[in-house]
Amino acid sequence: MVWINRIIPLLMVFLIQFLLVDFLSINLIRPDFIVIYVFYFSLMFGRAPGIIMGFTIGLLSDLTGVGSHFGLGPLTLSITAYLTGYLNGKYERLLPYVFHLFWIGIIGFHFFMLTYVRFQTVMVSDWVEFGMKWLLSFGYTMIFFFIIQFFYPVREASRAEIR
Amino acid sequence: MRNFVLALLKYKDHFILLVAVSLSLTILLKNDSPNVHIIRGKFSDTFSIISSPFAWMRSMIQLQDETQLLREKNVQLTLQMEAMLQSEAQFHDMRKLVGFKQDSSLTLIAGQVVNMGASSNLSSITIDIGSNDGVKVGQPVVVPGGVVGKTVVVGKNTTVVQIINDVNYRLSVRIIPSGSVGILQFLNNNICEVRELQKNAEISIGDKVVTSGFSQIYPKNLPVGEVIEVLDERNSFQKVARVRIKPNLGALMYVFIVMGDQDGLD
Repeated sequence: MVWINRIIPLLMVFLIQFLLVDFLSINLIRPDFIVIYVFYFSLMFGRAPGIIMGFTIGLLSDLTGVGSHFGLGPLTLSITAYLTGYLNGKYERLLPYVFHLFWIGIIGFHFFMLTYVRFQTVMVSDWVEFGMKWLLSFGYTMIFFFIIQFFYPVREASRAEIR
Repeated sequence: MRNFVLALLKYKDHFILLVAVSLSLTILLKNDSPNVHIIRGKFSDTFSIISSPFAWMRSMIQLQDETQLLREKNVQLTLQMEAMLQSEAQFHDMRKLVGFKQDSSLTLIAGQVVNMGASSNLSSITIDIGSNDGVKVGQPVVVPGGVVGKTVVVGKNTTVVQIINDVNYRLSVRIIPSGSVGILQFLNNNICEVRELQKNAEISIGDKVVTSGFSQIYPKNLPVGEVIEVLDERNSFQKVARVRIKPNLGALMYVFIVMGDQDGLD
């Protein structure tokens, strides 16, 4: 039953990302709901389940179609889940600003990995343009992150102990 | 053995990460493996079943605007056609006189875009035609505005197309009228860079960019874009031209795969 509770949201997030994300696309940049889900999942359930979830949903995401670098999704999401898992139950033990900087940093790092691999030619040609690519893809997803804060704040997720 | 199992349990998070990273890297390094292509092809067929109603809905939303545009185009083209028919007759007579070789014809097959992947950056599209329609890996994909990509994964009923903005996409192009040849790669938005152009090449803003034909995939003279900027640095041995491509990659609805004779457009 616990697994059903975990798999249904996974499928829902995946379908939202797969079917609806095109409608939210701005200048070929799209929000990444999958990283939001993997982040919350790792924050709530810890590293090991987070990595498994990140790898699975990343693989599914890549199987829907990528031009090249098939396998990059599971790699980045696994690393993101591993780093996020560190924050599981840590809200009370860390200073709030350290906690918030840490999780924003993790999401930033996730997008840096993706942008670095997918736009390495842009980085060679134009550093500023590369930075903008990273910032825009990171920023666009962060907007949705901040919206979610009104419904389910990160600090609540960090305290959650649903096993 | 017991100690190993205990250590494994103690450091299970790190161990799982190691396994996940190793698996991901293996997949990344096996991107060109036929088995990976088969798996991707099968999943592409499955996912297209889910996404096709949404693709249909999206095309219905755009249908009205498109019909209006087509009506206008129809009138323009009808007027142009009359003039062109006369020109064609003259052209054929002239060709016979100079013994010009026969035009090659490109066979095109149309496909509807059923999904654009789920990743945060668009780098591929999936279309609703596959090996059952005769599509193979490594065929050019074009729209009326020019080249947009090539087929990379072919399922029975769907095909994944690597589009021009993918990091690994390269295209050998020729700049007209100078005839300079270079390698095109995507930069940002709808701007690409043509590198490895000869330093003494005479390139001007507004020059046309077409495929060079030095490729097993692309026939020559397929339209690609137009030069908008020329970068000529003193300390560089090559010129770089920035090119604007016409197709709006984020709004592709239908594309065409070049199937048959690939000798190019004369």
